[in-house]
Amino acid sequence: MKPRSLRVRLLLSAAIAIFLALAAAWMAMTVLFERHIEHRIEADLIRDGLQLAAALSVGADGTPALEHEPGDSRFFEPASGLYWQVSTLQGALNSRSLWDQHLPEPKNATSLQWKSRTVEGPFNQQVLLVERYIRPERAGADVLVQLAHEQKSLHEAREEFGEELALFLAILWFILSAAEWVQVELGLRPLRHVRNEVETLKRNPRERMAAAHVAEIEPLTLAINELADAREKDLSRARRRAADLAHGLKTPLAALSAQSRRAREAGATDAADGLDHAIAAATSAIEGELARSRAAAIRAAPSGDTTIALPLIESLVGVVEKTEFGARLVFEVNIPEELRLPVAGEDLLEIAGALIENAARYARRRVRITGQAVEGGVLLVEDDGPGIESEKVAEALMRGGRLDEAGPGHGLGLAIAHDLVDATRGAITLLRSELGGLKVTVAWRAPELVTRGQES
Amino acid sequence: MRALVIEDEAAVAQDVAQALSGAGFVVDIATEGEDAWYKGSVEDYDVAVLDLGLPRIDGLSVLKRWRGAQRTFPVLILSARNDWTEKVAGIEAGADDYLGKPFEMGELIARIRGLVRRAAGRASSTIEVGELVLDTHRMSATFAGRPIRLSQLEFRFLDYLAHQSGRAVSAGELAEHLYGADEPGDSNAIEALVVRLRRKIGPQVIETRRGFGYLLAGDGG
Repeated sequence: MKPRSLRVRLLLSAAIAIFLALAAAWMAMTVLFERHIEHRIEADLIRDGLQLAAALSVGADGTPALEHEPGDSRFFEPASGLYWQVSTLQGALNSRSLWDQHLPEPKNATSLQWKSRTVEGPFNQQVLLVERYIRPERAGADVLVQLAHEQKSLHEAREEFGEELALFLAILWFILSAAEWVQVELGLRPLRHVRNEVETLKRNPRERMAAAHVAEIEPLTLAINELADAREKDLSRARRRAADLAHGLKTPLAALSAQSRRAREAGATDAADGLDHAIAAATSAIEGELARSRAAAIRAAPSGDTTIALPLIESLVGVVEKTEFGARLVFEVNIPEELRLPVAGEDLLEIAGALIENAARYARRRVRITGQAVEGGVLLVEDDGPGIESEKVAEALMRGGRLDEAGPGHGLGLAIAHDLVDATRGAITLLRSELGGLKVTVAWRAPELVTRGQES
Repeated sequence: MRALVIEDEAAVAQDVAQALSGAGFVVDIATEGEDAWYKGSVEDYDVAVLDLGLPRIDGLSVLKRWRGAQRTFPVLILSARNDWTEKVAGIEAGADDYLGKPFEMGELIARIRGLVRRAAGRASSTIEVGELVLDTHRMSATFAGRPIRLSQLEFRFLDYLAHQSGRAVSAGELAEHLYGADEPGDSNAIEALVVRLRRKIGPQVIETRRGFGYLLAGDGG
């Protein structure tokens, strides 16, 4: 089973690959080492052989004779591992180290060059043997010159070398694996950035991935951004569809209301009352559903947007001033120019619009709209109307409850505002204003400090 | 009196037209944007009822074209899109009122009458006091050439002061003029109105004469 972690996969595969490469290197190097030593021994044997050849002569009886023996002390020590032997058909001479033993019969030996081979030699030793025919005198007989070196010490040297090399390569393996770990960490770091950014994206669908990414990651971030765009489009399409549905339902409702009027004119008052009642219920349901879907959309996708409040509130006041209620009123707008509220513009429009219209409907002369930069921001809407009795406050804020029985087609007033404020993580309170009427306070919590770029 | 009803839903258009006829209007109907724009551009209407979701050209664009071409007749937007974003967009494009669907015919007729009365009462003239110019026909004002958006109440306040030839007017008298003699005077509301107007136009335009009242700067006195 493949491990799920990319890091583990990369590290495992790198460790195995490095191990295999180093193991191959170990084998190759020990073989090369052995061959190198063998060549050195062979060269030494040939040098000794040439000394033998220089001192070699053939007696009249055909037996070989030496003027002097090679000086290496190992030739004089029995079974030392280093041997020589010169032989003709008539007799042979050999080093004392051979004692009563003999070097093996020649095989493929020529007079042209030294031949080497590995054979079972004297004292049951594996030996490296070099041999050649030499003719000391031009008209004389050939003499077989043989030299041998046991191979046990060679094997021991190889094993020793192999062990030391293995230790060195193990350390090298460890170092290379550590380097690979660093490399993997560095390589995966952009992915971690991507993960953090995706987290932010999840919290706030309007965020996008930063453009500055390494070339290999960029296609991924671009794809994620495209996906986020598509998702946002879907979301706004869904909102538009909800609005379209409302549009589609409201116009037939208006037509139905025309029917009701005609029915009333024709004297069918009961039927008209029934129709009007049904139309009012349907309208209320549509407005409520639109408000709920808007609130749900905000909850599902908190924007993290902030909006400069003043121009937006002034626009709203401009609208309310045109209404029957608003035309008589003075609107005091006390909002600092730079005040930002932690709500998307269109949501702030709906919240403040509902509150200001509600205040305008009940106010006598004045509506006061105040903005304060306390925590996330505070919006106060006050009027000098009759206010709401404290025992009716809960009812007024109840979701989906219809407050504004007084005026048709004006939505659900405070309840709508309450739902939206709730969705934008704010709190709404109703108190008595010093102007005499209702004071609606909307307070938003300070935005979370841990956002991208502000991590401490 | 002539009214233009722009509505793509035939039943609603007929119903509104019928009600307006009953209220003494001569009514034309347009069922799509291009026709509406053409009629509003060449005919003289006293009021228009405009739906926003229209075929060919949407209602908001029609309104903007009219206003761009100095067609100043009052327009009431009648739309199913009843959220504040739409209302603000409609009023800022030059509409005079906004009513959401479904609506009560009585309310629609009352509002249309209100619009027509306000527009008809205004003689086409301007009053200049210093750098302040009041257009009594469009109920709008400019100060030093800069257009200023005024509410009805604000306009009436300035209009009243402008007609006093530099006399300082007390808060009580202003309240009586603005709210009627029956209602008790409310000097707080007048003070708030002055604060708001000074913020909109500039601090120097309305002067306070302690013990006497308010007057417009540069108006004789």
